[in-house]
Amino acid sequence: MSESLLNVNDLKTYYYLAEGVVKAVDRVNLKIGYGEALGLVGESGCGKSTLGFSVMRLIRHPGRIVGGEVFFEGEDLLKKSEAEMRNIRGGRIAMIFQNPMSSMNPVYTVENQIAEAIKLHQEIPKDGIKGKVVDILDKVGIPSPEERMKDYPHEYSGGMLQRAMIAMALSCNPELLIADEPTTNLDVTIQAQILELMKILRKEFGASILLIGHDLGVISELSDKVAVMYAGKVVEYSDLTGVFEKTKHPYTQALFESVPRLDVETERLHIIRGTVPRLINPPSGCRFHPRCDHAMKICSEQEPPLFKIGKKHEVACFLYR
Amino acid sequence: MIKMSETMLEVVNLRKYFPIMGGVLLRQVSAIHAVDGVTFDVKMGETLGLVGESGCGKTTLARVALRLIRPTAGTVRYMGHDIFGASERKMRKLRLEMAMIFQNPYGSLNPRMTIADSVGEPMDIHSLAKGAEKEKRIMELMEKVGLAPFHIYRYPHEFSGGQKQRIGIARALAGNPKLLVADEPVSSLDVSVRAQILNLLKDLQEEFGFTYLYISHDLSTVKHMCDRVAVMYLGKLVELGLVEEVYSNPVHPYTEALMSAIPVPGRKVKDRIILKGSVPTPIDPPPGCRFNPRCRYSEPGCAKEDPEFIEVRKGHFVACHLKK
Repeated sequence: MSESLLNVNDLKTYYYLAEGVVKAVDRVNLKIGYGEALGLVGESGCGKSTLGFSVMRLIRHPGRIVGGEVFFEGEDLLKKSEAEMRNIRGGRIAMIFQNPMSSMNPVYTVENQIAEAIKLHQEIPKDGIKGKVVDILDKVGIPSPEERMKDYPHEYSGGMLQRAMIAMALSCNPELLIADEPTTNLDVTIQAQILELMKILRKEFGASILLIGHDLGVISELSDKVAVMYAGKVVEYSDLTGVFEKTKHPYTQALFESVPRLDVETERLHIIRGTVPRLINPPSGCRFHPRCDHAMKICSEQEPPLFKIGKKHEVACFLYR
Repeated sequence: MIKMSETMLEVVNLRKYFPIMGGVLLRQVSAIHAVDGVTFDVKMGETLGLVGESGCGKTTLARVALRLIRPTAGTVRYMGHDIFGASERKMRKLRLEMAMIFQNPYGSLNPRMTIADSVGEPMDIHSLAKGAEKEKRIMELMEKVGLAPFHIYRYPHEFSGGQKQRIGIARALAGNPKLLVADEPVSSLDVSVRAQILNLLKDLQEEFGFTYLYISHDLSTVKHMCDRVAVMYLGKLVELGLVEEVYSNPVHPYTEALMSAIPVPGRKVKDRIILKGSVPTPIDPPPGCRFNPRCRYSEPGCAKEDPEFIEVRKGHFVACHLKK
């Protein structure tokens, strides 16, 4: 028995393209405890979504999970059959996506789609399903759910649709909720509503959360722990205050300084020189070293492991050897 | 620093309604009130931020202000010239001084034109430069925006998003503009690339003394970039003032909620004001103050009359019945 709900060990997910192999997730380790919310931050192309999809085993050709283990309550998801996986997806592990418009089926009503998820994963008598749909839509704050559930997705606004998506994800009481940029497409005030809702539901349902995103503010709002990803690797991992106040990894530091903030006055924003490397042929050693101000000789020669520097703080950087 | 007293762009009571056609005869059945009576000015050398949520009319406002589309009513004066009354010929001259930077660098460059053609197009249209001189000028522009000059015979797909946005900026600079309207210039870019473009815009302003109208829904970048900020809600301005003042002491209840909704990195914000519902449709906006159905201070009178846009402190305007 393990003490964490999700335990990702040395996970490798590669995409096999004509030009070469893209190592989108390259030996990543992650843990999410029971009831814990982990924020996974990084820029686009760093592999954060691939990681989320790998946990769900939703990687499609030309991508493939080539190594590692994903323990979910002590069982390796990578060893499950496709049929077993189908049971887990949407049931014990649910996912919400960035764009609710394209993740709902436009030709079925909202009721239909949520009922389908319930039918597949729970043994509820047929006449009880409708009540359950009303119930869950009411919980996520859809006004007059009996009527609105008969609507098609296009009749909902973006914020409402994201609420419906959350309702669908929670309808089967998942133990783990993977939320991939759940508020990126929404306006600030609607985003605030959704974040508030997720906070309340987290208390009520007690699900663990893997929150994937690039907005440092949104991540802070919901997470207990934060993992920072760069070019397919986790470079820093700690609790919220560790990452934001005692930021250690040069990439994390540079990333934070490049964002305009409301509470800090800056004349010029920090710029990370160069660009994010292509993952087909990533730099040797530490993948950040060509752009790092503190790079040493060893950085280009060896890959830094995650060094433990505090009780809950780990950094993949030779500065903290 | 340029004196920021002279007015460059003056927008008075501007309205833009888009008709909705319907019925068998396709007559106009109603209208989208995209911009509904907006008054403000942009001072020379300043950066004015225009913030609001999607669908509030900020992009339409910018497009009308540059006469890319005709208004329903109202006037816009650029350096004293009425731009809606100007002849095509005169407008052509004025257009040289106003340029726009678009949100989507992928969609705003023609994929079948080389960078030299795209950036050089304004020079052809306005007969600014030809042949070798044009090429030299394009190369200079590329350097100004931080791209290597040898790139100019490549096509847009060969560039990254940040580079494309730089090309978009180079194109906007081709006619030596004075006023630049930037419509969400960084919202489709990644965090670290965003910083590069924002710094570039600031550097260019310092070098050439540009005036910016900076449109965005991202309140943190607006605070970083702008001197003054105008907050728009459902086709109307609800608050206008200096950035420091509006951000630290928002007067309008909508601005207050908007400011409190911004997540702060590294912190869990308590006592956030959560607005109920979503923005109503601009086809049939609520009577009286348009924010009243969602306002937590709303009083019966709010739904009756449209609040005036009044100066509550020097240079700080608010449209709210309760703040008279």
